[in-house]
Amino acid sequence: MKKYLQIFKISFAQEFAYKVNFIMWRVRNVVQILLAYFLWSAVFEDPQITIFGYDQSKILTYIFAVILIRSLVFSARSVDVPQEISEGSFSNYLIRPVEYFRYWFTRDLSSKALNFAFSLLEFAILVIIFKPPLFFQENLLFLTLFLLTILIANYLIFVIRFIVTSITFWVAELGWGGQFLIMVIITEFLSGSIFPLDIFPELWQKVFYLTPFPYLLFFPLQIYLGKIPLNLAMNGILISLFWCLTLSFVLKNVWQKGLKIYEAVGR
Amino acid sequence: MMNIKYILPALSHNWTFLVFLIGKIIRFLFFGGFIYFLLNGTKTLAGYDFNQAILFYLTFFLIDTTSQFLFREVYRFRSYIISGSFDLILIKPISPLFRVLMGGADAIDLITLPPLIYLIFHFGSLLDPTILHSTFYILLVVNGLLLSTAFHITVLALGIITLEIDHTVMIFRDLQSLARFPIDIYKQPLQGILTYVLPIGLMMTIPAKALMGLINLTGVLASFGFGILALFISLKFWNFALKKYTSASG
Repeated sequence: MKKYLQIFKISFAQEFAYKVNFIMWRVRNVVQILLAYFLWSAVFEDPQITIFGYDQSKILTYIFAVILIRSLVFSARSVDVPQEISEGSFSNYLIRPVEYFRYWFTRDLSSKALNFAFSLLEFAILVIIFKPPLFFQENLLFLTLFLLTILIANYLIFVIRFIVTSITFWVAELGWGGQFLIMVIITEFLSGSIFPLDIFPELWQKVFYLTPFPYLLFFPLQIYLGKIPLNLAMNGILISLFWCLTLSFVLKNVWQKGLKIYEAVGR
Repeated sequence: MMNIKYILPALSHNWTFLVFLIGKIIRFLFFGGFIYFLLNGTKTLAGYDFNQAILFYLTFFLIDTTSQFLFREVYRFRSYIISGSFDLILIKPISPLFRVLMGGADAIDLITLPPLIYLIFHFGSLLDPTILHSTFYILLVVNGLLLSTAFHITVLALGIITLEIDHTVMIFRDLQSLARFPIDIYKQPLQGILTYVLPIGLMMTIPAKALMGLINLTGVLASFGFGILALFISLKFWNFALKKYTSASG
Protein backbone atom coordinates (compact mmCIF):
# COMPACT_ATOMS: atom_id res chain seq x y z
CA MET A 1 0.00 0.00 0.00
CA LYS A 2 2.86 2.33 0.93
CA LYS A 3 4.55 1.95 -2.44
CA TYR A 4 1.32 2.83 -4.28
CA LEU A 5 1.05 5.94 -2.15
CA GLN A 6 4.56 6.85 -3.33
CA ILE A 7 3.55 6.15 -6.94
CA PHE A 8 0.57 8.48 -6.41
CA LYS A 9 2.82 11.24 -5.08
CA ILE A 10 5.43 10.88 -7.85
CA SER A 11 2.79 10.74 -10.56
CA PHE A 12 1.07 13.82 -9.11
CA ALA A 13 4.39 15.69 -9.13
CA GLN A 14 5.06 14.58 -12.71
CA GLU A 15 1.85 16.23 -13.87
CA PHE A 16 3.44 19.56 -12.94
CA ALA A 17 6.49 18.85 -15.11
CA TYR A 18 4.49 19.84 -18.19
CA LYS A 19 2.58 22.83 -16.88
CA VAL A 20 1.73 24.41 -20.23
CA ASN A 21 0.58 21.05 -21.51
CA PHE A 22 -1.75 20.63 -18.56
CA ILE A 23 -3.11 24.18 -18.60
CA MET A 24 -3.82 23.99 -22.34
CA TRP A 25 -5.63 20.70 -21.77
CA ARG A 26 -7.85 22.37 -19.18
CA VAL A 27 -8.46 25.32 -21.53
CA ARG A 28 -9.67 22.87 -24.15
CA ASN A 29 -12.10 21.35 -21.65
CA VAL A 30 -13.51 24.76 -20.79
CA VAL A 31 -14.01 25.63 -24.48
CA GLN A 32 -16.04 22.45 -24.93
CA ILE A 33 -18.22 23.32 -21.96
CA LEU A 34 -18.73 26.84 -23.31
CA LEU A 35 -19.95 25.42 -26.62
CA ALA A 36 -22.50 23.25 -24.80
CA TYR A 37 -23.51 26.10 -22.47
CA PHE A 38 -24.22 28.58 -25.27
CA LEU A 39 -25.97 25.97 -27.39
CA TRP A 40 -28.36 24.95 -24.63
CA SER A 41 -28.85 28.55 -23.51
CA ALA A 42 -30.07 29.29 -27.05
CA VAL A 43 -32.39 26.28 -26.94
CA PHE A 44 -33.77 27.31 -23.53
CA GLU A 45 -34.08 31.00 -24.33
CA ASP A 46 -37.55 30.83 -22.79
CA PRO A 47 -36.81 29.66 -19.20
CA GLN A 48 -40.33 28.26 -18.78
CA ILE A 49 -40.08 25.55 -21.45
CA THR A 50 -39.26 21.90 -20.85
CA ILE A 51 -37.55 19.91 -23.62
CA PHE A 52 -36.46 16.25 -23.49
CA GLY A 53 -37.52 16.22 -19.83
CA TYR A 54 -35.16 19.06 -18.90
CA ASP A 55 -36.01 22.52 -17.72
CA GLN A 56 -33.42 25.31 -17.94
CA SER A 57 -31.88 24.68 -14.51
CA LYS A 58 -31.57 20.92 -15.03
CA ILE A 59 -29.94 21.16 -18.47
CA LEU A 60 -27.47 23.82 -17.31
CA THR A 61 -26.69 21.72 -14.22
CA TYR A 62 -26.04 18.82 -16.58
CA ILE A 63 -23.64 20.93 -18.70
CA PHE A 64 -21.77 22.31 -15.72
CA ALA A 65 -21.64 18.97 -13.92
CA VAL A 66 -20.04 17.42 -17.01
CA ILE A 67 -16.91 19.50 -16.37
CA LEU A 68 -16.57 17.96 -12.88
CA ILE A 69 -17.52 14.38 -13.73
CA ARG A 70 -15.34 14.30 -16.84
CA SER A 71 -12.34 15.25 -14.75
CA LEU A 72 -13.19 12.56 -12.19
CA VAL A 73 -13.95 9.75 -14.64
CA PHE A 74 -12.15 10.46 -17.93
CA SER A 75 -8.80 11.79 -16.65
CA ALA A 76 -6.09 9.13 -16.89
CA ARG A 77 -2.38 8.65 -17.29
CA SER A 78 -2.87 5.14 -18.63
CA VAL A 79 -3.54 6.63 -22.07
CA ASP A 80 0.24 6.29 -22.50
CA VAL A 81 0.21 2.49 -22.16
CA PRO A 82 -0.45 1.63 -25.86
CA GLN A 83 2.66 3.60 -26.86
CA GLU A 84 4.73 1.78 -24.22
CA ILE A 85 3.58 -1.59 -25.55
CA SER A 86 4.26 -0.68 -29.18
CA GLU A 87 7.70 0.77 -28.36
CA GLY A 88 8.71 -2.10 -26.07
CA SER A 89 9.23 0.01 -22.94
CA PHE A 90 6.36 -2.01 -21.43
CA SER A 91 9.04 -4.65 -20.67
CA ASN A 92 10.42 -2.45 -17.87
CA TYR A 93 7.26 -3.02 -15.84
CA LEU A 94 7.39 -6.79 -16.13
CA ILE A 95 10.46 -6.94 -13.92
CA ARG A 96 9.32 -4.40 -11.34
CA PRO A 97 7.79 -5.49 -8.02
CA VAL A 98 4.48 -3.79 -8.72
CA GLU A 99 1.10 -5.12 -9.75
CA TYR A 100 0.71 -3.58 -13.20
CA PHE A 101 -3.00 -2.64 -13.09
CA ARG A 102 -2.74 -1.28 -9.54
CA TYR A 103 0.23 0.82 -10.67
CA TRP A 104 -1.77 2.43 -13.47
CA PHE A 105 -4.94 2.71 -11.41
CA THR A 106 -2.90 4.67 -8.85
CA ARG A 107 -1.43 6.90 -11.55
CA ASP A 108 -4.90 7.47 -12.98
CA LEU A 109 -6.11 8.46 -9.50
CA SER A 110 -3.37 11.09 -9.24
CA SER A 111 -4.39 12.49 -12.62
CA LYS A 112 -8.05 12.55 -11.55
CA ALA A 113 -7.16 14.33 -8.29
CA LEU A 114 -5.30 17.09 -10.10
CA ASN A 115 -7.86 17.48 -12.87
CA PHE A 116 -10.73 17.50 -10.37
CA ALA A 117 -9.05 20.25 -8.35
CA PHE A 118 -8.70 22.38 -11.48
CA SER A 119 -12.20 21.57 -12.69
CA LEU A 120 -13.63 22.77 -9.35
CA LEU A 121 -11.87 26.08 -9.91
CA GLU A 122 -13.13 26.31 -13.50
CA PHE A 123 -16.63 25.38 -12.34
CA ALA A 124 -16.56 28.15 -9.73
CA ILE A 125 -15.29 30.75 -12.23
CA LEU A 126 -17.87 29.80 -14.88
CA VAL A 127 -20.69 29.87 -12.32
CA ILE A 128 -19.60 33.33 -11.15
CA ILE A 129 -19.42 34.61 -14.75
CA PHE A 130 -22.62 33.11 -16.17
CA LYS A 131 -24.69 32.76 -12.98
CA PRO A 132 -26.65 29.79 -14.39
CA PRO A 133 -29.72 28.58 -12.47
CA LEU A 134 -28.40 25.30 -11.03
CA PHE A 135 -30.28 22.35 -9.58
CA PHE A 136 -29.07 21.02 -6.23
CA GLN A 137 -30.11 17.49 -5.26
CA GLU A 138 -31.16 17.41 -1.61
CA ASN A 139 -32.26 13.77 -1.33
CA LEU A 140 -29.51 11.94 0.58
CA LEU A 141 -30.36 8.59 -0.97
CA PHE A 142 -29.96 9.94 -4.51
CA LEU A 143 -26.72 11.67 -3.53
CA THR A 144 -25.37 8.39 -2.11
CA LEU A 145 -26.37 6.49 -5.24
CA PHE A 146 -24.78 9.21 -7.36
CA LEU A 147 -21.45 8.81 -5.52
CA LEU A 148 -21.69 5.03 -5.84
CA THR A 149 -22.23 5.30 -9.61
CA ILE A 150 -19.21 7.61 -9.91
CA LEU A 151 -17.05 4.95 -8.20
CA ILE A 152 -18.41 2.29 -10.55
CA ALA A 153 -17.78 4.58 -13.54
CA ASN A 154 -14.13 4.98 -12.53
CA TYR A 155 -13.61 1.25 -12.39
CA LEU A 156 -15.54 0.66 -15.60
CA ILE A 157 -13.59 3.16 -17.70
CA PHE A 158 -10.30 1.77 -16.41
CA VAL A 159 -11.25 -1.73 -17.57
CA ILE A 160 -12.60 -0.52 -20.92
CA ARG A 161 -9.42 1.49 -21.57
CA PHE A 162 -7.17 -1.50 -20.87
CA ILE A 163 -9.26 -3.81 -23.07
CA VAL A 164 -8.85 -1.27 -25.90
CA THR A 165 -5.15 -0.96 -25.05
CA SER A 166 -4.75 -4.75 -25.38
CA ILE A 167 -5.29 -4.42 -29.15
CA THR A 168 -1.74 -3.02 -29.28
CA PHE A 169 -0.33 -6.48 -28.45
CA TRP A 170 -1.68 -7.77 -31.75
CA VAL A 171 -1.61 -4.66 -33.98
CA ALA A 172 1.03 -2.26 -32.69
CA GLU A 173 0.13 0.57 -35.07
CA LEU A 174 -3.45 0.52 -33.75
CA GLY A 175 -2.39 1.74 -30.31
CA TRP A 176 -3.57 5.30 -30.82
CA GLY A 177 -6.16 4.39 -33.47
CA GLY A 178 -8.05 2.12 -31.05
CA GLN A 179 -7.99 4.78 -28.34
CA PHE A 180 -9.24 7.36 -30.85
CA LEU A 181 -12.15 5.24 -32.07
CA ILE A 182 -13.32 3.70 -28.79
CA MET A 183 -12.21 6.11 -26.06
CA VAL A 184 -12.41 9.45 -27.87
CA ILE A 185 -15.30 8.98 -30.28
CA ILE A 186 -17.60 6.20 -29.05
CA THR A 187 -17.09 6.54 -25.29
CA GLU A 188 -17.40 10.33 -25.28
CA PHE A 189 -20.59 10.32 -27.34
CA LEU A 190 -22.33 7.33 -25.76
CA SER A 191 -21.41 8.39 -22.23
CA GLY A 192 -23.40 11.59 -22.74
CA SER A 193 -20.43 13.88 -22.21
CA ILE A 194 -21.04 15.75 -25.48
CA PHE A 195 -24.84 15.97 -25.11
CA PRO A 196 -27.48 14.25 -22.97
CA LEU A 197 -28.57 10.92 -24.42
CA ASP A 198 -32.26 11.52 -23.78
CA ILE A 199 -32.57 13.68 -26.89
CA PHE A 200 -32.52 10.36 -28.77
CA PRO A 201 -35.72 8.30 -29.34
CA GLU A 202 -36.68 5.97 -26.49
CA LEU A 203 -35.71 2.80 -28.33
CA TRP A 204 -32.20 4.12 -28.97
CA GLN A 205 -31.86 5.04 -25.31
CA LYS A 206 -32.86 1.51 -24.28
CA VAL A 207 -30.14 0.12 -26.54
CA PHE A 208 -27.56 2.59 -25.18
CA TYR A 209 -28.45 1.54 -21.62
CA LEU A 210 -27.54 -2.04 -22.45
CA THR A 211 -23.96 -0.94 -23.27
CA PRO A 212 -21.46 0.06 -20.55
CA PHE A 213 -20.97 3.61 -21.87
CA PRO A 214 -23.93 5.58 -20.36
CA TYR A 215 -22.86 4.37 -16.89
CA LEU A 216 -19.68 6.45 -17.18
CA LEU A 217 -21.40 9.84 -17.00
CA PHE A 218 -24.99 10.05 -18.23
CA PHE A 219 -26.46 7.57 -15.74
CA PRO A 220 -24.79 9.12 -12.64
CA LEU A 221 -26.03 12.53 -13.74
CA GLN A 222 -29.55 11.24 -14.29
CA ILE A 223 -29.52 9.99 -10.71
CA TYR A 224 -28.18 13.31 -9.42
CA LEU A 225 -30.86 15.24 -11.31
CA GLY A 226 -33.54 12.89 -9.97
CA LYS A 227 -34.67 12.02 -13.49
CA ILE A 228 -34.69 8.28 -12.80
CA PRO A 229 -37.06 6.64 -10.26
CA LEU A 230 -35.41 4.60 -7.52
CA ASN A 231 -36.25 1.17 -8.98
CA LEU A 232 -34.74 2.08 -12.38
CA ALA A 233 -31.69 3.57 -10.65
CA MET A 234 -31.11 0.28 -8.80
CA ASN A 235 -31.66 -1.62 -12.04
CA GLY A 236 -29.04 0.57 -13.78
CA ILE A 237 -26.55 0.04 -10.95
CA LEU A 238 -26.98 -3.72 -11.30
CA ILE A 239 -26.37 -3.52 -15.07
CA SER A 240 -23.24 -1.42 -14.54
CA LEU A 241 -21.98 -3.93 -11.93
CA PHE A 242 -22.65 -6.71 -14.43
CA TRP A 243 -20.49 -4.84 -16.96
CA CYS A 244 -17.74 -4.42 -14.36
CA LEU A 245 -17.62 -8.16 -13.76
CA THR A 246 -17.93 -9.18 -17.41
CA LEU A 247 -15.36 -6.70 -18.69
CA SER A 248 -12.93 -7.58 -15.86
CA PHE A 249 -13.16 -11.20 -16.97
CA VAL A 250 -12.63 -10.20 -20.61
CA LEU A 251 -9.65 -8.00 -19.69
CA LYS A 252 -8.01 -10.73 -17.61
CA ASN A 253 -8.19 -13.21 -20.48
CA VAL A 254 -7.26 -10.81 -23.27
CA TRP A 255 -4.35 -9.37 -21.28
CA GLN A 256 -2.94 -12.84 -20.50
CA LYS A 257 -3.13 -13.78 -24.18
CA GLY A 258 -1.53 -10.47 -25.14
CA LEU A 259 1.34 -11.00 -22.70
CA LYS A 260 2.06 -14.38 -24.29
CA ILE A 261 2.52 -12.89 -27.75
CA TYR A 262 4.32 -9.72 -26.57
CA GLU A 263 7.79 -9.66 -28.14
CA ALA A 264 9.18 -6.36 -26.81
CA VAL A 265 9.60 -5.07 -30.36
CA GLY A 266 11.93 -2.10 -30.39
CA ARG A 267 13.99 -3.35 -27.44
CA MET B 1 3.31 16.14 -56.33
CA MET B 2 4.54 16.53 -52.80
CA ASN B 3 1.06 15.96 -51.38
CA ILE B 4 0.61 12.81 -53.46
CA LYS B 5 3.96 11.51 -52.23
CA TYR B 6 2.66 11.68 -48.64
CA ILE B 7 -0.85 10.38 -49.33
CA LEU B 8 0.33 6.99 -50.58
CA PRO B 9 2.19 5.89 -47.41
CA ALA B 10 -0.85 6.88 -45.34
CA LEU B 11 -3.01 4.57 -47.39
CA SER B 12 -0.55 1.71 -46.93
CA HIS B 13 -1.24 1.51 -43.14
CA ASN B 14 -4.58 -0.17 -43.83
CA TRP B 15 -5.71 -0.80 -40.26
CA THR B 16 -4.88 2.64 -38.97
CA PHE B 17 -6.40 4.22 -42.04
CA LEU B 18 -9.63 2.25 -41.66
CA VAL B 19 -9.98 2.94 -37.93
CA PHE B 20 -9.48 6.69 -38.32
CA LEU B 21 -11.84 6.80 -41.29
CA ILE B 22 -14.53 4.96 -39.31
CA GLY B 23 -13.91 7.27 -36.33
CA LYS B 24 -14.36 10.40 -38.44
CA ILE B 25 -17.52 9.06 -40.06
CA ILE B 26 -19.01 8.07 -36.69
CA ARG B 27 -18.24 11.50 -35.24
CA PHE B 28 -19.85 13.15 -38.27
CA LEU B 29 -22.96 10.97 -37.94
CA PHE B 30 -23.24 11.48 -34.16
CA PHE B 31 -23.21 15.26 -34.46
CA GLY B 32 -25.54 15.12 -37.48
CA GLY B 33 -27.89 12.86 -35.49
CA PHE B 34 -27.68 15.23 -32.54
CA ILE B 35 -28.75 18.20 -34.69
CA TYR B 36 -31.56 16.13 -36.23
CA PHE B 37 -33.01 14.97 -32.91
CA LEU B 38 -32.44 18.32 -31.22
CA LEU B 39 -34.31 20.20 -33.94
CA ASN B 40 -36.99 17.51 -33.92
CA GLY B 41 -37.68 18.55 -30.34
CA THR B 42 -37.13 22.30 -30.58
CA LYS B 43 -38.15 22.95 -34.25
CA THR B 44 -35.73 25.92 -34.50
CA LEU B 45 -32.28 26.85 -33.23
CA ALA B 46 -31.63 30.59 -32.87
CA GLY B 47 -34.35 31.10 -35.49
CA TYR B 48 -32.96 28.55 -37.99
CA ASP B 49 -34.88 25.43 -39.04
CA PHE B 50 -33.40 21.95 -39.47
CA ASN B 51 -32.25 22.35 -43.10
CA GLN B 52 -30.53 25.62 -42.25
CA ALA B 53 -28.91 24.25 -39.08
CA ILE B 54 -27.62 21.22 -40.96
CA LEU B 55 -26.18 23.49 -43.67
CA PHE B 56 -24.22 25.40 -41.01
CA TYR B 57 -22.91 22.09 -39.71
CA LEU B 58 -21.99 20.76 -43.17
CA THR B 59 -20.24 24.02 -44.10
CA PHE B 60 -18.25 23.85 -40.87
CA PHE B 61 -17.31 20.28 -41.71
CA LEU B 62 -16.37 21.14 -45.32
CA ILE B 63 -13.95 23.91 -44.35
CA ASP B 64 -12.57 21.99 -41.38
CA THR B 65 -12.03 18.80 -43.40
CA THR B 66 -10.50 20.62 -46.39
CA SER B 67 -8.12 22.45 -44.04
CA GLN B 68 -7.17 19.16 -42.39
CA PHE B 69 -6.59 17.60 -45.79
CA LEU B 70 -4.38 20.43 -47.03
CA PHE B 71 -2.54 21.48 -43.87
CA ARG B 72 -1.94 18.22 -41.96
CA GLU B 73 1.82 18.83 -42.13
CA VAL B 74 1.41 21.74 -39.70
CA TYR B 75 0.76 19.15 -36.95
CA ARG B 76 4.23 17.67 -37.58
CA PHE B 77 6.08 20.98 -37.64
CA ARG B 78 7.08 21.00 -33.96
CA SER B 79 9.23 17.89 -34.40
CA TYR B 80 11.07 19.57 -37.30
CA ILE B 81 11.86 22.56 -35.13
CA ILE B 82 12.82 20.59 -32.02
CA SER B 83 14.97 18.06 -33.86
CA GLY B 84 16.55 20.73 -36.03
CA SER B 85 15.50 19.00 -39.24
CA PHE B 86 13.84 22.24 -40.34
CA ASP B 87 17.38 23.23 -41.42
CA LEU B 88 17.23 20.53 -44.10
CA ILE B 89 13.94 21.94 -45.38
CA LEU B 90 15.36 25.47 -45.52
CA ILE B 91 18.25 24.50 -47.81
CA LYS B 92 16.07 22.67 -50.33
CA PRO B 93 15.10 24.46 -53.57
CA ILE B 94 11.44 24.64 -52.60
CA SER B 95 9.50 27.20 -50.63
CA PRO B 96 9.90 26.17 -46.95
CA LEU B 97 6.48 27.62 -46.19
CA PHE B 98 4.83 25.45 -48.85
CA ARG B 99 6.74 22.41 -47.59
CA VAL B 100 5.72 22.76 -43.92
CA LEU B 101 2.21 23.97 -44.72
CA MET B 102 1.11 21.59 -47.46
CA GLY B 103 3.81 18.92 -47.50
CA GLY B 104 1.71 16.13 -45.98
CA ALA B 105 -1.92 15.87 -47.06
CA ASP B 106 -4.31 13.64 -45.09
CA ALA B 107 -5.86 10.97 -47.33
CA ILE B 108 -8.61 10.19 -44.81
CA ASP B 109 -9.99 13.70 -45.17
CA LEU B 110 -9.76 13.49 -48.96
CA ILE B 111 -12.06 10.45 -48.95
CA THR B 112 -14.67 12.15 -46.80
CA LEU B 113 -14.85 15.26 -49.00
CA PRO B 114 -16.93 13.97 -52.00
CA PRO B 115 -19.87 12.68 -49.90
CA LEU B 116 -19.71 15.88 -47.87
CA ILE B 117 -19.95 18.02 -51.01
CA TYR B 118 -22.90 15.90 -52.15
CA LEU B 119 -24.68 16.48 -48.82
CA ILE B 120 -24.09 20.23 -49.06
CA PHE B 121 -25.52 20.19 -52.58
CA HIS B 122 -28.54 18.21 -51.37
CA PHE B 123 -29.37 20.25 -48.26
CA GLY B 124 -28.36 23.52 -49.95
CA SER B 125 -30.79 22.93 -52.83
CA LEU B 126 -33.63 22.41 -50.30
CA LEU B 127 -33.21 26.10 -49.39
CA ASP B 128 -33.93 27.16 -53.02
CA PRO B 129 -30.92 29.46 -53.38
CA THR B 130 -30.53 31.78 -56.38
CA ILE B 131 -27.48 31.50 -58.67
CA LEU B 132 -26.15 34.71 -57.11
CA HIS B 133 -26.45 33.34 -53.56
CA SER B 134 -24.86 30.03 -54.62
CA THR B 135 -21.96 32.00 -56.14
CA PHE B 136 -21.63 33.99 -52.90
CA TYR B 137 -21.54 30.69 -50.99
CA ILE B 138 -18.73 29.25 -53.12
CA LEU B 139 -16.75 32.50 -52.92
CA LEU B 140 -17.15 32.70 -49.15
CA VAL B 141 -16.11 29.05 -48.70
CA VAL B 142 -12.94 29.95 -50.65
CA ASN B 143 -12.57 32.94 -48.33
CA GLY B 144 -13.00 30.59 -45.35
CA LEU B 145 -10.13 28.52 -46.68
CA LEU B 146 -8.06 31.70 -47.12
CA LEU B 147 -8.67 32.54 -43.47
CA SER B 148 -7.81 28.99 -42.48
CA THR B 149 -4.57 29.23 -44.49
CA ALA B 150 -3.74 32.49 -42.72
CA PHE B 151 -4.36 30.86 -39.37
CA HIS B 152 -2.17 27.83 -40.14
CA ILE B 153 0.67 30.10 -41.34
CA THR B 154 0.36 32.08 -38.10
CA VAL B 155 0.54 28.83 -36.10
CA LEU B 156 3.71 27.83 -37.97
CA ALA B 157 5.28 31.21 -37.29
CA LEU B 158 4.33 30.96 -33.62
CA GLY B 159 5.85 27.47 -33.63
CA ILE B 160 9.23 28.88 -34.65
CA ILE B 161 9.11 31.54 -31.95
CA THR B 162 7.52 29.61 -29.05
CA LEU B 163 7.80 25.87 -29.94
CA GLU B 164 4.19 25.51 -28.65
CA ILE B 165 2.56 24.65 -31.95
CA ASP B 166 0.56 21.55 -30.96
CA HIS B 167 -1.49 23.30 -28.32
CA THR B 168 -2.05 26.42 -30.39
CA VAL B 169 -3.48 24.43 -33.26
CA MET B 170 -5.64 22.23 -31.01
CA ILE B 171 -7.07 25.18 -29.11
CA PHE B 172 -7.89 26.85 -32.42
CA ARG B 173 -9.66 23.68 -33.52
CA ASP B 174 -11.66 23.65 -30.30
CA LEU B 175 -12.61 27.29 -30.82
CA GLN B 176 -13.40 26.53 -34.43
CA SER B 177 -15.79 23.81 -33.26
CA LEU B 178 -17.95 26.62 -31.84
CA ALA B 179 -18.98 27.15 -35.48
CA ARG B 180 -20.67 23.73 -35.70
CA PHE B 181 -23.76 25.78 -34.97
CA PRO B 182 -24.53 29.28 -36.28
CA ILE B 183 -22.59 31.82 -34.24
CA ASP B 184 -25.89 33.65 -33.67
CA ILE B 185 -26.44 31.34 -30.70
CA TYR B 186 -23.58 33.04 -28.82
CA LYS B 187 -24.16 36.18 -26.82
CA GLN B 188 -22.16 39.39 -27.21
CA PRO B 189 -19.27 40.03 -26.81
CA LEU B 190 -18.39 36.41 -27.71
CA GLN B 191 -20.29 36.66 -30.99
CA GLY B 192 -18.28 39.76 -31.99
CA ILE B 193 -15.01 38.10 -30.99
CA LEU B 194 -15.86 35.01 -33.05
CA THR B 195 -16.65 37.18 -36.06
CA TYR B 196 -13.88 39.77 -36.10
CA VAL B 197 -11.09 38.76 -33.71
CA LEU B 198 -10.96 35.01 -34.22
CA PRO B 199 -12.79 35.13 -37.55
CA ILE B 200 -14.46 31.74 -37.12
CA GLY B 201 -17.83 33.25 -37.98
CA LEU B 202 -16.47 34.67 -41.23
CA MET B 203 -14.89 31.31 -42.02
CA MET B 204 -17.88 29.07 -41.37
CA THR B 205 -21.15 30.79 -40.54
CA ILE B 206 -21.15 33.60 -43.12
CA PRO B 207 -20.89 31.26 -46.19
CA ALA B 208 -23.99 29.32 -45.08
CA LYS B 209 -25.83 32.58 -44.40
CA ALA B 210 -24.95 33.75 -47.92
CA LEU B 211 -26.62 30.68 -49.41
CA MET B 212 -29.74 31.55 -47.39
CA GLY B 213 -29.71 35.02 -48.93
CA LEU B 214 -28.82 36.73 -45.66
CA ILE B 215 -25.55 38.31 -46.90
CA ASN B 216 -25.34 41.00 -49.60
CA LEU B 217 -22.52 41.87 -52.01
CA THR B 218 -21.00 44.39 -49.57
CA GLY B 219 -20.81 41.65 -46.93
CA VAL B 220 -19.11 39.29 -49.38
CA LEU B 221 -16.56 41.93 -50.42
CA ALA B 222 -15.88 42.92 -46.80
CA SER B 223 -15.33 39.25 -45.89
CA PHE B 224 -12.93 38.83 -48.77
CA GLY B 225 -11.10 42.00 -47.77
CA PHE B 226 -10.72 40.59 -44.26
CA GLY B 227 -9.51 37.23 -45.62
CA ILE B 228 -6.88 38.78 -47.91
CA LEU B 229 -5.71 41.11 -45.14
CA ALA B 230 -5.41 38.17 -42.72
CA LEU B 231 -3.38 36.19 -45.27
CA PHE B 232 -1.10 39.17 -45.92
CA ILE B 233 -0.47 39.72 -42.21
CA SER B 234 0.19 36.01 -41.63
CA LEU B 235 2.79 35.97 -44.44
CA LYS B 236 4.50 39.01 -42.94
CA PHE B 237 4.49 37.25 -39.56
CA TRP B 238 5.98 34.10 -41.12
CA ASN B 239 8.83 36.14 -42.67
CA PHE B 240 9.38 37.83 -39.31
CA ALA B 241 9.47 34.46 -37.50
CA LEU B 242 11.89 32.95 -40.05
CA LYS B 243 14.38 35.67 -39.22
CA LYS B 244 14.14 34.66 -35.55
CA TYR B 245 14.89 31.00 -36.29
CA THR B 246 18.20 30.11 -34.68
CA SER B 247 18.50 26.43 -35.58
CA ALA B 248 19.25 25.86 -31.90
CA SER B 249 18.55 22.12 -32.01
CA GLY B 250 20.28 21.42 -35.30
